[in-house]
Order: sequence, then structure tokens, then C-alpha cells
Amino acid sequence: MRILRKWALAIALFVALLFDGVLAQYLHQFLTIGRYGASLTLLPIGIMLIALFDDTNSNEIWLALGAGIVADIATLGIVGVYTVFFPLASWACQKVARFLPEIFWSRLIVVIIGLTILDIYSWLILTMVGIISVPVKIMLISLLVNAGWSIIFFVATYWIWGNLAERYPFLIDLNAYR
Amino acid sequence: MKKFLQNKKLLTSFIVVFVVLIVLGGSVSLRNRRNTPLLIQSLGNDIVAVGSRIVGGPVSLISGGLNNVNDLLNVQTENNHLKSQVTNLGQTKAENQALESENKQLKEALKIKDTLTGYTPINASVISRSSDTWSDLLVINKGSSAGVQKNQAVMCNGGVIGRIIEVNAASSKVELITTTDKSANRFAVEAKTSNGKTVHGIITVNSDNGLAFTQVVDSRKLKKGTKIYTSGMGGNSPKGLLVGTVAATTRDSFGLSDLIKINPSGDVNDPSVVTVIKREVANN
Repeated sequence: MRILRKWALAIALFVALLFDGVLAQYLHQFLTIGRYGASLTLLPIGIMLIALFDDTNSNEIWLALGAGIVADIATLGIVGVYTVFFPLASWACQKVARFLPEIFWSRLIVVIIGLTILDIYSWLILTMVGIISVPVKIMLISLLVNAGWSIIFFVATYWIWGNLAERYPFLIDLNAYR
Repeated sequence: MKKFLQNKKLLTSFIVVFVVLIVLGGSVSLRNRRNTPLLIQSLGNDIVAVGSRIVGGPVSLISGGLNNVNDLLNVQTENNHLKSQVTNLGQTKAENQALESENKQLKEALKIKDTLTGYTPINASVISRSSDTWSDLLVINKGSSAGVQKNQAVMCNGGVIGRIIEVNAASSKVELITTTDKSANRFAVEAKTSNGKTVHGIITVNSDNGLAFTQVVDSRKLKKGTKIYTSGMGGNSPKGLLVGTVAATTRDSFGLSDLIKINPSGDVNDPSVVTVIKREVANN
């Protein structure tokens, strides 16, 4: 059980990855408005919120790297989109969290900015390797749709990630300090 | 140069970017060239697929309940539509049986074993979809153990919706026909013109994310509503799979060639059960 506590965040992120894929299948019709669409971002939101809630645990950057590799292989089939973004986002969020007020709104703004950067970065990489060919105009308008949906996913999962990050920090046994 | 080498942060960043580019290039190359992914990737995909099926169970129950309510509301309209179809069904069935039998006899007389129209269907369920905005990928619950192979056509609701791009032991990835992937294989298709001639071309995606029938020699005789089928000439899919119907014929952005817009026949937006088409004639 003690090992499971240490790995609870990793398990939660894996479940978030599964929910991203499954919910995308059912919510796809609602996520797209004509030619513009939004991503299902439970996993990226989780990575960033964990780093914002617990800015002292450097293990979480390695967790983000592992989650990125698994997400890249399972979704896109290429390594280099989430594998790069997740650890960078985790590191940046931990740095930002040190001077950011620990309130819901400030974290919401950071996560929305992060998700917008992720969308632009993934568009850039996938366009560069020829997997997609989406015009800039569609990409820019999709960012707005994405931001709108991301707020909903953020609100729905904020307290879950907060509780998990504070109670079960990755690879740290809190019982050892009690 | 000396200063660059002495600056550890800059040097590390440079090495990291370099490694990322190599890994990215390598994985893209593997994705496009290999028929099956690396063992570790295949195993990871299957584990995620099994997890998705477990998570998808309760989600599909909720979604199924909501769909049932919607179905009940539409039942009267659907019933009226089906009644009008059922009168023609008996005649079409009898005609189909006669043609099938005649076709079999002719093939035996000519000693033809497999033709371009022959295929074996493999039914599968969609377990998840790519969560990002840009890529059009589905994951299905059948893989190489069920006979699925890379590049096989995938159908849903009577029309082609995509192609298999990655095959694992117990799951596969389907790239939808609406993908803007430049390296994706295109479907070779054909249609009958108003004067009875057959025109050939390929399916592409135009700038507004719709399907288009391109590289057609004489497109002016293709009227609105003309059905477009796979020609079997691409080497991957059999002949005669319905792709869509002609929606409109316009000129391309340069005004040089015709652009035939197509309404896809398959359900690209909400596929839940799909059929993978295994062509009987060997690829090579």
C-alpha cells in the first residue's frame, strides 16, 4: 500500500490519459464547431496543476516526462510532442508557483496559457513533420474554442488534482515525516 | 565557439534540442515505414487499449442511456423512412442473389479465384479517439491477432471512413479519411459519368477540411449525387467500397482544374462500430 501511495499520482495521470481518449470519442461532436475544434486536456491540466500545487518535488518533472512518452506513443504514435511539453510545463509551473498567489484564479490563468502554448506547439510540430496541414487561421480560432473547453475541464478536475498532489506527492512517503 | 562550449546551460539546451529532433525524426520515420510498431510501442498501445476498454465501459453505459432517449424521440420518423425502403428491399435482395450466383458461375467458368472486389470484413469497436485538436485518429479493439494489417480500409455505416495506420496485437489505429496528413495513402476511386464512362481519380482533403475527388480527366459529366467507389487500383483496398456522393463541382483555387466536392457516406463524426476490410487479392 505504501508503494501505491507513492505512485498514486502516476496512476491518476494514466487514468486521465485513458479518460482523454474515451471522452474524446463521446464528446467529439460537442468539442468541434464547424472546422474548429478543441482538445480534451485532462492529462495536461493534471501535469500543470500538480506542479502548481506542489512546487518543491522535483520528482514530478520526471513523472511528467514519463507521462509525456506514454501519451505520445498512445495517441500520436510519434515521440516529441508531449514528451517535450510536459516536463517543460511542469518545471515552468513549479518556478511560477513560487511567486504566484495560491488561489484558483491565478492557477486557472497559468493553465490556460500553458494549454494554449501546448496547442500551438503541437500544431507546429505536427505541421513540421507533415502529419497535419491546418491553416494558421483555423489554428488561431481553434485556440479560442480550446480555451473555452479547457476552463470547463479545469473547473471539473481542480480539486481532484489538488487533493492528489497534496496527499500523495510522487515518490515521497509522507508517513516518514509523521 | 570556445565560449559556447564553456557555457554549460547553453550546451545542454543545444544537446537536448538536438536529441529531441533526432527522436522526433526517427519516430516519424518509423510510423511511416514500418508495418508494425516496435514491440515496446505495441505493448504500450495494447495496455492503454485495455485500460480504455475498462474506463469506456461505464462511460458508454451513460452515453448509451442518453442515446436511447434520443432514439425513442426519433422512432416515428425513422419508422416512416424504413417503411418506404422496405417495399424495394425484397426485389433488390432477389436481384442480388441472382447476380451473385451468376457471378460465381462466370468466375468458375473463367477459373478466376480472387478479383479486386473480393474482401473479408472484420468487425471492431472504437474504444478511443485522439484527444488533441489536430489529428484524426481512432483506436479500435482488433489488431494483428484478428487479421488486421496496415493500410486496410475501414468502413462505418456503409461508407469508407479511413485507413489502418498502426497495428498492435490487440488494437489498431485508424486514420480518418478527413485527415490532412500529407504522407497518408490516398484512396484510388472511380465513378460513372452521365454518359456511362468510368472516370478515375483519388480522394484528397481540400482547404475547408471537406473531401474532394481530384485528378479526374473529365469531371463535367459527373452530376450531383453520383456515387464514388474505390477502384481497387491503389493496391490496398478492394474495388467497390462506397466513399461518398458528388456534392458540387467547382474550380480549384488556381482555376486550372476541376474540384469535385464529396459528401462522405460513412459516419466520420461519431463512429462506434467499424468494419475493417481485408482485401482478398494480395497487395503485390
